[in-house]
Amino acid sequence: MTDALVADVLFGAFALGSVITGWRVFRTDSMMRAAFFLLASFAAVGGMLVILGAEFLGMVLILMMAGEMLVMAIVMVMFMMNPAGLNPMWMVHQHRVAVAAGVSSFLAIASLGFLVDFREDPNVQPEMATVELGIELLGDSMLVFQTAGVLLLATMIGAVAIASSRGRFGAAEEGSEEPALDPEDRAAS
Amino acid sequence: MRPAAPLELAVPLVGIVVVIGVYVVAVLDQAISELVGGGTLRWRRVAFDPLRSAAHLVTQQRRTTERPDTPGWILAPALLSALAALALAMVPLGPTTVAADPETGFVVFSAAIAFVMIAVYLHGWSPNSLFALHGAYRFGAQALSLQIPFLLAMLATTLPAESLSIVDIVQAQESLWNVVRQPLGLPLYLVVGVGASFWGPMNLPDAADLAGGTGVEDSGVARLLWKSARSAMLVAVAAMGATGFLGGWWGPWLPGAVWVILKTLVLLVVLIAAGHLFARVRVEAFVVVAWALLIPLALLNIFVSGAVLL
Repeated sequence: MTDALVADVLFGAFALGSVITGWRVFRTDSMMRAAFFLLASFAAVGGMLVILGAEFLGMVLILMMAGEMLVMAIVMVMFMMNPAGLNPMWMVHQHRVAVAAGVSSFLAIASLGFLVDFREDPNVQPEMATVELGIELLGDSMLVFQTAGVLLLATMIGAVAIASSRGRFGAAEEGSEEPALDPEDRAAS
Repeated sequence: MRPAAPLELAVPLVGIVVVIGVYVVAVLDQAISELVGGGTLRWRRVAFDPLRSAAHLVTQQRRTTERPDTPGWILAPALLSALAALALAMVPLGPTTVAADPETGFVVFSAAIAFVMIAVYLHGWSPNSLFALHGAYRFGAQALSLQIPFLLAMLATTLPAESLSIVDIVQAQESLWNVVRQPLGLPLYLVVGVGASFWGPMNLPDAADLAGGTGVEDSGVARLLWKSARSAMLVAVAAMGATGFLGGWWGPWLPGAVWVILKTLVLLVVLIAAGHLFARVRVEAFVVVAWALLIPLALLNIFVSGAVLL
């Protein structure tokens, strides 16, 4: 088999895999499984990017998704009152709206493939793709990315401050209690 | 992708390295355990006990739990083994002797380390068992806190190389190894590496205080595969430490590949001995250390390395 054929077969496998696992996200009956399927779908998209020559972007996508999906799964389980995501549940709500939104956004994004004028000379050198990305990030788009970066950092610090174990009523692991409502009890304790 | 070993050769070779590495970890673990315990080293026992344990696990009866997620349970050890093999494939034995040398080798290795948390979480969640799930959540906290210091400690090694390729990272250490150039790098890497491969003092997900944690419901071949995958991950972390900080194949007299293996063994001994010399850390305390101490130190390491290069 030639390299081009191998690349085509792999691309097809990743594309099919990302669609199937993406569909399974909504058909499975558990939040944890949905998170794992979504991760598999994103990893397949990362594989497609690697085959398209965007090696760095593809690998970074795969790298970042591992942590993000785990955080998402933990937070989902935390807020959904479904012990550890083990109870069966429906993964969708508002079926008709969801189907309409899904189909229309798919068509909108897929139409980009026909509307955009792609370059005739594909960038075949992955190292040049990484270099061009770096120049873009620290050149024309620097203000956008630096603003977004500072904003994200501020959000992270805020989230850590909110989630910190040292709350208003003492450290969380020491069984902190709210002060009593009655002022006399408060003075006693 | 730059030219590397042909696939027909690279895949079996990485597989063989994984199997030998797992055995070496088991032997070292047993030997260091006996030395630390103050006993005399009995070579026959050290060499054959791991094989005996493996044979015992292979012939053991399989148990299962009530309503487990069977595909996930089967997949978890396979995923962890595959990640260890992927990470090991990035380690060059010489300037051209490497299973795979992608332009973004550093990112591929980091992605493999990041997916360890998915493998461990899947392994703890899928048996539908309390202690296993508890271990999975512990590792969630541990691994998410480790990711950033791990990435930053490794990222500093790409600065002198001006490349994300692992071969280039080793090439850049010809005159001076990164362990000297970035004194903070290797200690940071070892702390986060032992955490990422959940070994010894950082073995929180599979800890004895959880009766085995994520592996509590494993039996037979599944238990053997999970233990082997953990050991393979430790080998991968040690090999990458030897490559990124101890100069990889650079060294006098001996051929490059021998140097890589020797350096990997030294780091393996350090990592495994840590398991027998230090008490297990508490996850709450460790998370605070990771965010408040390791990340600032790793950032300092990067800033100093960058400033020296400028």
